[in-house]
Amino acid sequence: MSSLFYFFKESLTGFTRNLSTTLGSIITIFLSLLIIGLFLVGGIIVNNIVSSVENEVSITAYVADDADQAKVDAVVEAVRSMDNVASVGFTTKEQALENFQTSNNSDIIDSLDGTNPLPASIDIELSDPQQVETVAQAIKDNADYQAVADEGDVEGSVSYGQQSIDRLFSMVNIIRYVGVALVALLIFIAFVFINNTIRLAILARRKEIAIMRLVGASNGFIRGPFLMEGALHAIIGGALAILCIELVRHFALPQVSNALVWLPVNVEFGTVLLIYAALLVAGLFIGLLGSALAMRRYLKV
Amino acid sequence: MRRGSHAAQQRLTPQQAAARQATAQLSQALPTLDIDDMPQTMGTPVITFDHVTKVYPAQPNKPALNDISLQIYAGEFVFLVGHSGSGKSTFIRMLIREIKPTKGKIYVADEDLSTMRNWRVPYLRRNIGCVFQDFKLLPNKTVFENVAFALEVIGKSRHVIKTQVPEVLRLVGLQDKLNKRPDQLSGGEQQRVSIARAIVNRPPLLICDEPTGNLDPQTSRGIMDLLERINRTGTTVLVATHDREMVDNMRRRVIALDRGHLTRDQDRGVYGFDV
Repeated sequence: MSSLFYFFKESLTGFTRNLSTTLGSIITIFLSLLIIGLFLVGGIIVNNIVSSVENEVSITAYVADDADQAKVDAVVEAVRSMDNVASVGFTTKEQALENFQTSNNSDIIDSLDGTNPLPASIDIELSDPQQVETVAQAIKDNADYQAVADEGDVEGSVSYGQQSIDRLFSMVNIIRYVGVALVALLIFIAFVFINNTIRLAILARRKEIAIMRLVGASNGFIRGPFLMEGALHAIIGGALAILCIELVRHFALPQVSNALVWLPVNVEFGTVLLIYAALLVAGLFIGLLGSALAMRRYLKV
Repeated sequence: MRRGSHAAQQRLTPQQAAARQATAQLSQALPTLDIDDMPQTMGTPVITFDHVTKVYPAQPNKPALNDISLQIYAGEFVFLVGHSGSGKSTFIRMLIREIKPTKGKIYVADEDLSTMRNWRVPYLRRNIGCVFQDFKLLPNKTVFENVAFALEVIGKSRHVIKTQVPEVLRLVGLQDKLNKRPDQLSGGEQQRVSIARAIVNRPPLLICDEPTGNLDPQTSRGIMDLLERINRTGTTVLVATHDREMVDNMRRRVIALDRGHLTRDQDRGVYGFDV
């Protein structure tokens, strides 16, 4: 216990001894952890958005007004038995109008003068959003559906949001790759910086270290202050990063959320806590490993 | 030059006589450690060199030490003499296991240094006090802190430090200079601090590498007096030196090295090299 206190005291004097490099290593750790944290939070938000969009991936197959009800039922049955289909529903013309009314301006309805231009439709929810194209093609190939398709146009009657989903997926992937590369680079820089700072601390104290070795200080005791110093850099940097992310989450995120009401831009507090813990652990890992490597090279005990 | 200390005293200049008297007074002022406190291990070898050869990679054809075999017993006071480059420092560096012998075995208190694990080395060094020519004191710490440092870094409690450090500083005669910094002390006083640091942990073995190397003769005598006093408490003392007068006056066991060879090992010996 007393030696822990000694390590702490020594590492604090190490702070003042090399203030500029110490600040440098704290700031690099802070920046890299901040960017890692922002990417993690951003990633979770994007994941939420993607999954909510994925849930909305459904196929709507419009049915002609004069369709044979028996054939429509047959199509529903056929679709229900397909792979990757979660549920199949049927929306009548009247329901379609009601849905339209609730989600849109009533002026448009008024201008229709009581006529109903909306077709009835078969709504298919998918269990695997990636398979949307296959299922859509299967519906188009269905002979019964070809008979009942709205206005006889099979291609135009089956609609789904494939293109937008594809674009979203590829964009998210690109962001992920860039993020991983950036984070790796920053971790490397932080690592080098800590390594350098600890090396300077060791050089500044080499006389003391020589005496410590002479009077028989154990290796752990000699290394302790340097490990502690690396860990302290990491903890301070990590705390700053967490503070910044918390500020962003508190003040910037609600604004974004208000601006983009149709997207679910919010993160659960539990996951945020988990991210913070991960950041601290990652910072400690960088700090301890950086100083351990510096000691391996410059402190042969 | 082979004369006893009595003969020497009669032929002193008045100045030297005064200095000697001052030294004697100083050593009388020093309190003796209670001998019963010290482990008495007379008769067992503390240091054993068993056909030790050390070859540095830089000079493969000129071994720094060549086939040295000797034993040093507990409670002995041994001089290790020889010219520069005769292997004295190599001898000492091998004792504290800073370097390993190329061939042969070294035992310190029955422990084989060549097979000793690295993590055990600090515990070996806690049993060996070391004093060097250049004192190796920390300039930004006071005398007290310098000595306390040796206890601090081996994890001794604050209570032990508070009691043991003033005691050992009294033993070396620096009880009035606890709060001075090394640069405020004379060379002899600095060496006393470094001796205090070496013995504060009460090691059974004290090794001194040229302890009087850059001190004047009077001060050197004071230091030797102190070392003798420490030896009388039961500590084995090994002094590497080329201070001819000192060795001749004290008449202790002398081990002479010449270009890596053990040329003489003599009880109550003299320096013996013609300079």
